[in-house]
Amino acid sequence: MTAMRVDAKVVMLGKESVGKTSLVERYVHHRFLVGPYQNTIGAAFVAKPTHVGDKVVTLGIWDTAGSERYEAMSRIYYRGARGAVVCYDLTDSSSFQRARFWVKELQNCEEHCKIYLCGTKNDLIEADRGLRQVDYHDVQDFADEIGAQHFETSSKTGSNVDELFQKVAEDYNSSSFEVMPEEQGVDLGQKKDSYFYACCH
Amino acid sequence: MAADVHNQPWESMPSNGCLTAEHLTVERLRIDRAESPTPGLVEGTEPGAGQETAMFVHTQSFEDLTADTEEEAGPESAEGVGPVEEEGPDEEVCPEEEARRSGVREKEEDVTSEAWRAHRKHVFVLSEAGKPIYSRYGTEEALSSTVGVMMALVAFVESDKNAIRSIQGDGYRVVFLRKSPLVLVGVSRGSQSDRELVRELQYVYYQIVSLLTLTQLDHIFKHKQNYDLRRLLSGSEHLTASLLRLLELDPGPLLSAVTCLPLAGAARDTVSASLQHARAPTLVFSILLAGTRLVSLVRRKEQHLHHMDLHLLFNLVGSSSSFREGEGWTPVCLPKFNTAGFFHAHVSYLLPGTPLCLVLVSTDREDFFTLSDCKRRFLERLQKRSAFHALQEALACPTYPVAQVGIPELRHFVYKSKSSGLYTSPELPVPYSSEEEQERLMCLYQQLHSRLHHPTRPLRSIYRCTHTENLFAWVTSGFELYLCFSPLGTKAVAVAAVNKLLKWIRKEEDRLFILSPLTY
Ligand SMILES: Nc1nc2c(ncn2[C@@H]2O[C@H](COP(=O)(O)OP(=O)(O)OP(=O)(O)O)[C@@H](O)[C@H]2O)c(=O)[nH]1
Ligand SMILES: [Mg+2]
Repeated sequence: MTAMRVDAKVVMLGKESVGKTSLVERYVHHRFLVGPYQNTIGAAFVAKPTHVGDKVVTLGIWDTAGSERYEAMSRIYYRGARGAVVCYDLTDSSSFQRARFWVKELQNCEEHCKIYLCGTKNDLIEADRGLRQVDYHDVQDFADEIGAQHFETSSKTGSNVDELFQKVAEDYNSSSFEVMPEEQGVDLGQKKDSYFYACCH
Repeated sequence: MAADVHNQPWESMPSNGCLTAEHLTVERLRIDRAESPTPGLVEGTEPGAGQETAMFVHTQSFEDLTADTEEEAGPESAEGVGPVEEEGPDEEVCPEEEARRSGVREKEEDVTSEAWRAHRKHVFVLSEAGKPIYSRYGTEEALSSTVGVMMALVAFVESDKNAIRSIQGDGYRVVFLRKSPLVLVGVSRGSQSDRELVRELQYVYYQIVSLLTLTQLDHIFKHKQNYDLRRLLSGSEHLTASLLRLLELDPGPLLSAVTCLPLAGAARDTVSASLQHARAPTLVFSILLAGTRLVSLVRRKEQHLHHMDLHLLFNLVGSSSSFREGEGWTPVCLPKFNTAGFFHAHVSYLLPGTPLCLVLVSTDREDFFTLSDCKRRFLERLQKRSAFHALQEALACPTYPVAQVGIPELRHFVYKSKSSGLYTSPELPVPYSSEEEQERLMCLYQQLHSRLHHPTRPLRSIYRCTHTENLFAWVTSGFELYLCFSPLGTKAVAVAAVNKLLKWIRKEEDRLFILSPLTY
């Protein structure tokens, strides 16, 4: 009956256009799409099996939309997540402020979720160091403070992308011995939001 | 072009007594439709009418779309500006659009340029406090002075909320639609009537509501009149832009109808049954699309979808490449169903590289994995059946040439079955292959539509000749029909063609329409 077996729920969070979709695209399909940027609508789900040692771990990745419009919805995407990749654009300091917001949100609501801070578009920095707006060491300090991992990636070149998700899968694998696996995905029995019904009946 | 339109004014058929209800042998109406190739004039027996209950909210036609505004206030002209004139026959039809053809990116335009002013149609959305929310061309910031003028006009032309007003200036028509808490303004250089413009503004309004819900909109502006709504709408500009293109090129919104992928009836029934089979308790609508064509729609028994909500879904899916990968899960308000709450749509393409997209609409935002499983079950079931092969073949020819009808003078037509809310139309032939020409033909159909559905002087049929084509439009209680002939045709040819065409549609209705829609 079940559609797919997902071991670990992973959520991508971050301001719009920081490159969440591009990261997933690079990791899952090994490509970088050029052309006009298209915002994600709502969220997109994809399941990706990966090898950890001799085991296969399937990551269920939720690529959320960065637009504030969907903020109220975000909880359903990170609830029960084992890992959250919180993205910011290395060339945009405001996107790091937004990353801090997500970190706080996760700390408050999802304490078992491991956080991976991900600075994106590293290729732009390599081409022109002057574009960097978020300091590597500042983020490393922040990561240490909150107990998070820290990566700088480029979806364009592929640099560090597989490493990021591999780390997520490995962390899941080693922690799954300790933590009792929580409810995966969503709780189907739970009917929230009956307000919709209240309106039409 | 202006001249020839002037020389050959609109003609109203009933006054000539040339084509009336009797013309199409009324007695055949009583004959069971299965035996009668000739269409009835009564709703529910016309070609394309569904055998069971309709899939859509029952829509007579254009009227119910505007009803909600008309109840409150009909279109009125501003005092002192003179009455809004019925579009005269000497008016220029659809002037060419230099700016669009020059290929300037819509958002980057200089709002002081000639090109900007030359756009045939501008659409603006403002808050009631006068904050810019959306502009079709140029950036909203650059328009702040224009916005000031528009707000002054809005204050001048109206005092009531939710009213429509229009003013006419030097070759321009400006229509205001106040849908509290938003104000929408359409500026058109074309020959569109106020009602057509209002219809487009309504679509833009509902597009915004579909992203946010009216409840949320009201809430935001009640607490902060000065709120900058662009924050919440960011990333949706391309949706509105593509919706406006859809409104200009697609007969669906004009006719309050949608069109189907031509598919053998038996294959469609199998697709529908497979959709019906893959149900879930929170599922309300299962919609299979091929581009902007409907393949099948299965719904919960008591619930009907409004064609406008379906157009908004088409637009959402069609203009977002973001659904191409993986499975999408997004809140969406279907404003004609309920402006207060969100549905949750599971959007996924059936197989990589096909235009077949499945949209499963649920009431429960927690139900992603249940719906994902519905999709899997649907696909598994369908793939085992020969209908799947038929469906894939049908995708190769999503349209048909008008030559199939066998009327040499006939270039194009649009036929809507009123009771099913579905229409059919052949592919556009050579003279209309460019987007400009396509838009021009749509403009002509729009004008015919406006005439037929005139609020005080509706017509049953119209015949019209120009240098470039002859047009014929006919509306009965069962269907609405627009035909385009080569300019060499005559009225007699047109009248004879109608009968032949209706017979052809009757013969093909199984393929062109959804005759047996299902519920869960
Ligand atoms: N040079 C470069 N550009 C990138 C990189 N990653 C993303 N981009 C570009 O940044 C833009 C936004 O990328 P997306 O991946 O769509 O951003 P997103 O975070 O998914 O945005 P939302 O869906 O709106 O939240 C696109 O134009 C990408 O081409 C990268 O590593 N290098
Ligand atoms: Mg994205």
